[in-house]
Amino acid sequence: MASRRSARNDNDQRVTFSRPLFIALLVVSGALIAFDRPASRSDAFGAFRAGFTDLAAPLLELGAQPIRSVKGIGPYFRRQGALAEENAQLRQQLVEARYWEDLAYRQRDRIEIYEDALDVETMTVQDRIGAWTVADPQGPFVQARLIGRGQEAGIRDGYPVINLYGLVGRVYETGRRSARVLLLTDLNSRIPVMADRSNARAILIGDNSDYPRLEYVGRVPDLQEGDRIVSSGDGGILPRGLPVGEAIRTRSGEWRVRLYSDQAPVDFVWVWPYQRIVPPDQEISEADLQLPPASLPLIVDTPQPEAEAETSDPAASDPVDPDGDGTTEGRP
Amino acid sequence: MRKPTDRQSPWLAALGCVLSVLLALVMQAAPTRLVDGVNIMPTWPLVAIFLWAGVRPQFMPPIAVFAIGLTQDLLTGAPMGVWALSYLIAIAAFRFRGEEGMPRDLPPVIIRFGGTLLLAHGIAFTAGSFALEQMADLQPLIIEIVATLLMFPMVAYLVLRRRRGGRTGFIGG
Repeated sequence: MASRRSARNDNDQRVTFSRPLFIALLVVSGALIAFDRPASRSDAFGAFRAGFTDLAAPLLELGAQPIRSVKGIGPYFRRQGALAEENAQLRQQLVEARYWEDLAYRQRDRIEIYEDALDVETMTVQDRIGAWTVADPQGPFVQARLIGRGQEAGIRDGYPVINLYGLVGRVYETGRRSARVLLLTDLNSRIPVMADRSNARAILIGDNSDYPRLEYVGRVPDLQEGDRIVSSGDGGILPRGLPVGEAIRTRSGEWRVRLYSDQAPVDFVWVWPYQRIVPPDQEISEADLQLPPASLPLIVDTPQPEAEAETSDPAASDPVDPDGDGTTEGRP
Repeated sequence: MRKPTDRQSPWLAALGCVLSVLLALVMQAAPTRLVDGVNIMPTWPLVAIFLWAGVRPQFMPPIAVFAIGLTQDLLTGAPMGVWALSYLIAIAAFRFRGEEGMPRDLPPVIIRFGGTLLLAHGIAFTAGSFALEQMADLQPLIIEIVATLLMFPMVAYLVLRRRRGGRTGFIGG
């Protein structure tokens, strides 16, 4: 038997670690690391990554199914004793939620009246796009999730992602059928936020810990422990008022945020199609960009032909179908 | 009488290799945090690479190691090349050489794998920090190392047991 093994090792298990190929691959790896830096990633690399995740998404979705089916087992057995208490709390919250729902309807009607009176056209609120998490890589370099919907569902880079409790992160690397969500806890995450109580502004900076820190709060910040932190909408990056978490103060005096979205595993999320609100000064410059070429006469007041006016209708060119498909979830 | 090596097709072994590597990559990226208490994921791709490089070196040429590392980079959202580079160097440094290949006893295999693991994660940390232009988070790396070291003996035991068993080699003989 031993001789047979030796013979097999000689003939079959020959070392095949080719040195020239090995060196070449080392060089390629080094080049990839040098050129695929998240801070300065080119469009080509971004498109390649998104294309790859598109291809891999069905396989990852297949792998996620068994995990999703057993995810409730742990909490179910652990929390049997606390279910009755939780039920009572939920009933109480439901009563309160109904009050807020009525209030929201009234406020919406009121806003519509004001808008009519002022003749202001605000953007239509678009449906949220529901998506399942298909991959949840746990690594030292990036805190992100891969979701199983992409450009085909109307998702674009920069859209905020929320779960049942609050803001989870923002979309980046959008493929056709998949997209990656950069979590608030990631090292590269920067979100303008404010305290709901005092409107005190800050920047929420991820540092890979469970509690991202609040920076640029000023010397005497108007913050209190337990303050509700929401997105401030500054810079138009995110819509204003998305719930983020609660302010907490560490022993070293640093302000951090306990994220609402951490109350449950990030499994099913909603992507919020959000069109950045352009400040008036930038609006002018964007209008300038749409002017005809310099060779043509610059007559702004000239009425456009009807056909051209129809194609320039922003609603017609809206990439997101407002009706959504069957899986989008409408709002009241 | 047929030789033990002829019992099964090498294609079966190749299929086993591909499937196990795919499974390792999917597990690495799977949303395991959904299950209560499962927050730690061992570096399964490295386990697969190391064991296949030991029992069937012809299935793990540098290009395969590179491809697995690159796939892991893309699936996990890490900068491209980080895991590819670290796996290439670590496997090249610690793979079993010589006529007998991987020994049939568990302790030397575990020790060799420990070295591979530490080197791979050390390189990944350095390369990742370079790509991120700031220090990468060390804590998840340490957790990954510990989790992998805890899980590896079980997998290695099964592989070695199969090697020592009726057949002379791993899957496919």
